[in-house]
Amino acid sequence: MKNIVSVEKIEKYYGNKGNITKAIDNISFKVDEGEFLGIMGPSGSGKTTLLNCISTIDNVTTGKIIINNKDITALKAKAIEEFRRDELGFIFQDFNLLDTLTAYENIALALTIQNREIPEIDEMIKNVARKLDITELLSKFPFQLSGGQQQRVACARALVTEPSLILADEPTGALDSKSSRLLLESLEKLNKEFHSTILMVTHDSFTASYAHRILFIKDGRIFNELIRGNDTRKEFFNKIIEVVTLLGGDVGNVL
Amino acid sequence: MFSKIAISNVKRSFRDYSIYFLTLTLGVCIFYSFNSIESQNLLSKMNKDADFILTINLLMAGTSIFVSFVLGGLIIYANNFLIKKRKKELGIYMTLGMSKRKISKILIVETLLIGVLSLVVGIVLGIIVSQGLSILVANILSVDLNKYKFIISLSAIMKSVVYFGIIYLLVMIFNQFTISKYKLIDMLNASKKNEVVKLKNSFVSILIFILSMVLLGTAYARILKTGLDAENAELIVTVMIGVIGTLLFFFSLSSFFIHIVQKSKKIYLKDINIFVLRQINNKINTNFLSMTVICLMLFLTITLLFTAFDLKGTIDRNSAGNKAFDAAAFLVVDNENEDPKANDIEEYLNDIDFTFEAYEKHSFYNEYKLNLTIEHLLSNYLSKQEKIDLEQNYLDGPISAIKISDYNSIIKLNGHDPIPLKENEVLVVSNYGQVNHALPEYMKNENIIHIEDKAYTIRNESPIEENIKITGSKFFYLIIPDNFNGELQLEFSSFNVIYDESYAEKSEEKFSNLFNNLSEDKYRDISPALVLGSTINQKEDRDNGLAAIVVFLGLFLGLTFIISSAAVMALQQLSDASDSLERYKSLKKIGVTEKLINKAILRQSLIYFLVPLGLAVIHSIVGISAVSENFTFHYESIIVSSLFLVIIYGGYFYATYVGVKNIVKNSN
Repeated sequence: MKNIVSVEKIEKYYGNKGNITKAIDNISFKVDEGEFLGIMGPSGSGKTTLLNCISTIDNVTTGKIIINNKDITALKAKAIEEFRRDELGFIFQDFNLLDTLTAYENIALALTIQNREIPEIDEMIKNVARKLDITELLSKFPFQLSGGQQQRVACARALVTEPSLILADEPTGALDSKSSRLLLESLEKLNKEFHSTILMVTHDSFTASYAHRILFIKDGRIFNELIRGNDTRKEFFNKIIEVVTLLGGDVGNVL
Repeated sequence: MFSKIAISNVKRSFRDYSIYFLTLTLGVCIFYSFNSIESQNLLSKMNKDADFILTINLLMAGTSIFVSFVLGGLIIYANNFLIKKRKKELGIYMTLGMSKRKISKILIVETLLIGVLSLVVGIVLGIIVSQGLSILVANILSVDLNKYKFIISLSAIMKSVVYFGIIYLLVMIFNQFTISKYKLIDMLNASKKNEVVKLKNSFVSILIFILSMVLLGTAYARILKTGLDAENAELIVTVMIGVIGTLLFFFSLSSFFIHIVQKSKKIYLKDINIFVLRQINNKINTNFLSMTVICLMLFLTITLLFTAFDLKGTIDRNSAGNKAFDAAAFLVVDNENEDPKANDIEEYLNDIDFTFEAYEKHSFYNEYKLNLTIEHLLSNYLSKQEKIDLEQNYLDGPISAIKISDYNSIIKLNGHDPIPLKENEVLVVSNYGQVNHALPEYMKNENIIHIEDKAYTIRNESPIEENIKITGSKFFYLIIPDNFNGELQLEFSSFNVIYDESYAEKSEEKFSNLFNNLSEDKYRDISPALVLGSTINQKEDRDNGLAAIVVFLGLFLGLTFIISSAAVMALQQLSDASDSLERYKSLKKIGVTEKLINKAILRQSLIYFLVPLGLAVIHSIVGISAVSENFTFHYESIIVSSLFLVIIYGGYFYATYVGVKNIVKNSN
């Protein structure tokens, strides 16, 4: 299967001489096309830094990140902006929908900044809305929607451009459990039916249990790796809890 | 302790404060400059009449107070912005257990600090600016600046300190009021609060927009029909309709606009136009009141600047003409007094021991009234409107006449050769043909004037346009033969003088003294005759004095208005940029390039600045066309006033654009 993401020995240092914090300390992994990868870890483990580096929001100190055959650590500022626009889709914890725009406009924005053909835009938005079951929400403003609905609109925005990689940063962080389940089922469906590659950062074991494979990170290093294989979600969840207990020594730290 | 917090606050939130500080400093600077020009005595130099100076001083004081109200409003507005932005910080103080009273104290110290600082900087700036401004004003008013000196006006400083002191005091009271009103929870959550988007029914918005158009159209039609007649009560109604129309226009504009643009997918779905549109919609919708005020202020500014420059043009043109003589005087003949001495200006001057120097070229002449009116003369050629016009210019009485020998001596002063005139001939000296086509028409067709049944041939083919006096902008004279034997009534006994260039200053002083004495009736006991005169300079000063004041006040008010409105726009834009920072961050996160974001900021600022200006310009065009019936219309005035507008308003626009760009850029 084709590799979409290949992270090779990356390190990220913060601070200056004599006072260096290694946020990421020699991490390497690969993500295949159509994979649903979860990254877990306690606060301060470096998982958000890792995501920022992959999403080109931050740059690494050493190492290479290759996404869709492009080494993004070697790209120039302008090329990075274009890369982010065309190859990545983002789902954020706080949705990052523009409150002044309707759902339709929020999704359209992702397409208009790519200078897509105008007749194409409407078609694409309607398609993605059908997939995520938000067709009847399109004319509403974010403040008229529930958290779960907002996050599904945000998903639609991330998906509509058909990016090679979807990055989700704590997508359920601001949702209640019912909305979380609905959202994760949508993500699972996208992954299964449309073969979207998803990289999701979370510290919630339940959320993580929807992934195919989970990388555990602690103090900037990969600590463990769990593969779901043929396990049911329930079994996988129990395995996750075991690792989390081991990882933090204290479940409260992680949950 | 509290002053320490206050000082560090000011230092820390310098960017927020800089807008406020700039507004204050500019306010002080304008205020000082205006009042210091008063002490430059530029205006009183133009005219030494005590009444006139009193009028100026009253006008200036009134304008000062009015302007301080405008600036006070502006400062309170800016201050309000600042407090709003700092709600969260103040909330944190309160959670730490600081009482509202102590927070108030901190705010007072901060206001005091900023106030004193802005006063000092503003006055220093004002001292510099006022030097330049007085040169500019002197230039505009065509005042000689020989005696110009660098001035620091103590009275202007005092005035600025007192006026702004009061404004700062008001700001402090206002802050106290605001603080006591806020709840802690609202203060802490102030930054999180989403803006409530006023969703409006599209149908209603279109309806309101159409209504506003109808109202504005009605107002325009009314003002163009009735003109700008202050005594007409209709004017107030028209103004009210205009104001309400403007208000509704801004109220409905953005919703209407967005519905229109949404129809055009090409614009709507291009770049991040969706975002720009919504952003503007939000802003105009919530700020429609201030938009209206700004639009009306800009309208006033444009009209004021235009009128001011137009008046200046008129002043320049007036003084360009009528420069045939340096001084002139006339004695009003009292026909009931038999004493010839009382009716001759030459005798009169002898009596009061006034003598002409050899180098002061002069001529005496008599002015008569004929037994003929211009209306009668031109009756076949005048329309009804032209007859009314005649009456308005006081040309409808008996025609003035001057004998040819007197006339020749007058034109000799200017170096012209004498014109010979036969017994049955007359000359027409008039600029009346410029105003009215009746005279040239008459001269073309008739060639003969009948005075008391005797026919006189008009010697010249078109009227001579040279004035005989230095007063009077419209004139009509017949030059008659010396031995004219019809009825003649002596009206004025006069003289004209031309100075020698090398003694011009001395003569000017001598004659202006004489004329001042005459107007103060100093020779009453020597001779009872009424003699009036003025030098060309005195006349210009009198003519230009009041107009100059209007120019000056117009400029000053215009500047204050434009700076105030541009400052409010800038403040709104900048504070809005900080408020929408989250939105810009979201845009960046979903991959909008920086170039595109800058483009969006540019479009937003441009539209935001242009919308009130656009309507104001349309208002002004209509307003000025209405006024132009009272004033003459000059293109230079349009160019100069729009240049002023473009420079100041454009400067603010650019500063705002750069400021917003920086706020967004520095956000991560």
